[in-house]
Amino acid sequence: MKALRTLFVSAAAVGLLATAAQAQDKTIKIGALFPMSGPGSYFGAQDKQGVELALEQLNKAGVNGYKFVVQYEDSSCSPLPATQAAKRLIEQFKPDVIIGEECSDATLAVMPVVEQAKVPLLNAGSSSIKVTEPGNPWTFRIMPNEVMQGINLAENASKRMKAETAVLLFENTNAGIGNAQVFKENFTKQGGKVLAEIGFGRDVNDFTAIATRVAGLGKVDVIPTYTLEGQGLKITQALAQAGVTKGGGGNAIQIGTIWLPFGFEQKAGKAALGYIRIVQFDPTDTRDVAKNFASAFKAKYNAEPTHLNAHAYDQIMLIADVVKRGGKDAQSIRDGLAATKGYSGVTGSVEFDKTNQNTKMDTIHYMETKPDMSWTSLKWN
Amino acid sequence: MTTTIVLQQAINGVVLGSLYVLVALGLTLIYGVLVQINFAHADFVTLGAFAAYFFMHLVGGGYILSIAVAFAVGAALGWLINAAIFTPLRRKGNELLPLIATIGVSVMMQNLMLAWFGPIPYAFETQYSSEVIRFAGIFVSWQSVIIIIVSILTIALLYAFMKFTFLGKALRAVAQDRETAGLMGINPNYLIMLTFVIASALAGMGGAMLAPVLVLTPFAGTSVIVKAFAIVIIGGFGNVEGTILAGLIVGLIESYTTQFLDPGLIDIVVFALLLVMLAIKPTGLISERREENV
Repeated sequence: MKALRTLFVSAAAVGLLATAAQAQDKTIKIGALFPMSGPGSYFGAQDKQGVELALEQLNKAGVNGYKFVVQYEDSSCSPLPATQAAKRLIEQFKPDVIIGEECSDATLAVMPVVEQAKVPLLNAGSSSIKVTEPGNPWTFRIMPNEVMQGINLAENASKRMKAETAVLLFENTNAGIGNAQVFKENFTKQGGKVLAEIGFGRDVNDFTAIATRVAGLGKVDVIPTYTLEGQGLKITQALAQAGVTKGGGGNAIQIGTIWLPFGFEQKAGKAALGYIRIVQFDPTDTRDVAKNFASAFKAKYNAEPTHLNAHAYDQIMLIADVVKRGGKDAQSIRDGLAATKGYSGVTGSVEFDKTNQNTKMDTIHYMETKPDMSWTSLKWN
Repeated sequence: MTTTIVLQQAINGVVLGSLYVLVALGLTLIYGVLVQINFAHADFVTLGAFAAYFFMHLVGGGYILSIAVAFAVGAALGWLINAAIFTPLRRKGNELLPLIATIGVSVMMQNLMLAWFGPIPYAFETQYSSEVIRFAGIFVSWQSVIIIIVSILTIALLYAFMKFTFLGKALRAVAQDRETAGLMGINPNYLIMLTFVIASALAGMGGAMLAPVLVLTPFAGTSVIVKAFAIVIIGGFGNVEGTILAGLIVGLIESYTTQFLDPGLIDIVVFALLLVMLAIKPTGLISERREENV
């Protein structure tokens, strides 16, 4: 009898321990599709920093009893590797939600895969309108799309910068072409004239020939440029060498939407003088959420955060907010994301429309490169 | 269209072509002697670029000296990889093994560089890239002037080495007939090693010359290597003169396609030329009997 009682007590103890362990083991599995190789790999490196900071903060206490785990996959900023990485994640890791990709071509390729698997995809870096138009129930974007940014940029180029002529420089990708076309359409509506549209592949290294062509086009006021950081550096330097832009003694000003990280100016040197571009994180933002992020980032990495760090941090924090509101699996996280209202993140507010596009435009900030290669925030929005 | 722009694009094309030639020369040299394609050549270029970068930024050396450092690093690495990987594989008698090994070396080097240097693009600036000479509406950076001077010197030295030195003549003998050269007292293994060292040194130096032009990441070399392969084929596999001519032609095609057509069409034009060459003159622009190459 005594032996039987001991057995029951032991069984109960084991049961209790198992329940406690289960409560501790409750996890939200986040798949991260980031480019970690190829020309877009700087995205992945910086995204990962933002994710790791968010995880460190969240997993100290958990959210609603849940801890967060992230599995990274290299999606290479390119459709085929991104699709393979997404399938790998879904089949092996079985995530509750996926974040990424950065490049529009890759995100567009992944969207049907996540839709079929019914796993929500939270995107912060792809600007192509096709990501949310006509809309995909499983894909959400917190960054303003190319149309939102392009209209704003074209209006500011015309009205504030008094630009009359433009030359468009863009990489031949969905995002590059899309951004350039939106600018063209809206700049033309404002009475501006586009002198040339020059697209190029990601394998182009030497931009001297392109800069020469731009120099031969006569008076150019603005040069909207849409490309990754590496090529962006070379374009800026080539335009200055050709004497087209302010940095090279010319009059044209390079402008752009959200593509380049902070630190670009220092790398480009004086060639970047006067460059005006949209960023989605303003380090001078006085909101607590932005200040706390900046100080925590600096404490962890001993570096100033970029908008890429902030994007990734916001993606994880928004997922945590959804979990706080009851999200626990793919379906409930999707529904929670769709129901988000007035969420305030580092890069701005979040509220999705019926296409799952964030509609809050307080995410847009303009910055201009000053002669000492620092930048100043332009209060244009 | 003004003459100035046409002339400016010609200068741009020659500068770009000179860079391509520096990269393609090593490829053609290895093919000429070993009849082997080195897929890791791009990574020697990248490593040369990083060697020059770190020599300037960590050691505080000047750019011109960094070109010599990249040359030496390329040479050392070429010797090491040939001794450690390619020579043992060649001894097995299967010619496919070293070829496949070059792919393995390439992937390994890319990922090692990714681990060491990270994925974020480096800004390789020299005092010569921002200093521009302007005259009569033409602009040329000092960096471009250095590229042209170094390319001309390299080609001249390589030519002199091949034509007038004993080692150069021995190298050509091995390229013509490895077995007979061996019977004549030439050590083919030593000369194969020398070929790898020279080709890798040229790649390293090409990296230092390209670094201010390239987007410097661990994958930088791969962006030029496809063009370099095309140049080697257009010029005639293993033919140094053909490679130089083809490099300059491709550089000029890039410049004028950008000016008159669209930069998005560059690859179409270059590779259309490659296909035309393969169809009508597969031996390349300057065709010689294979044994006279190199």
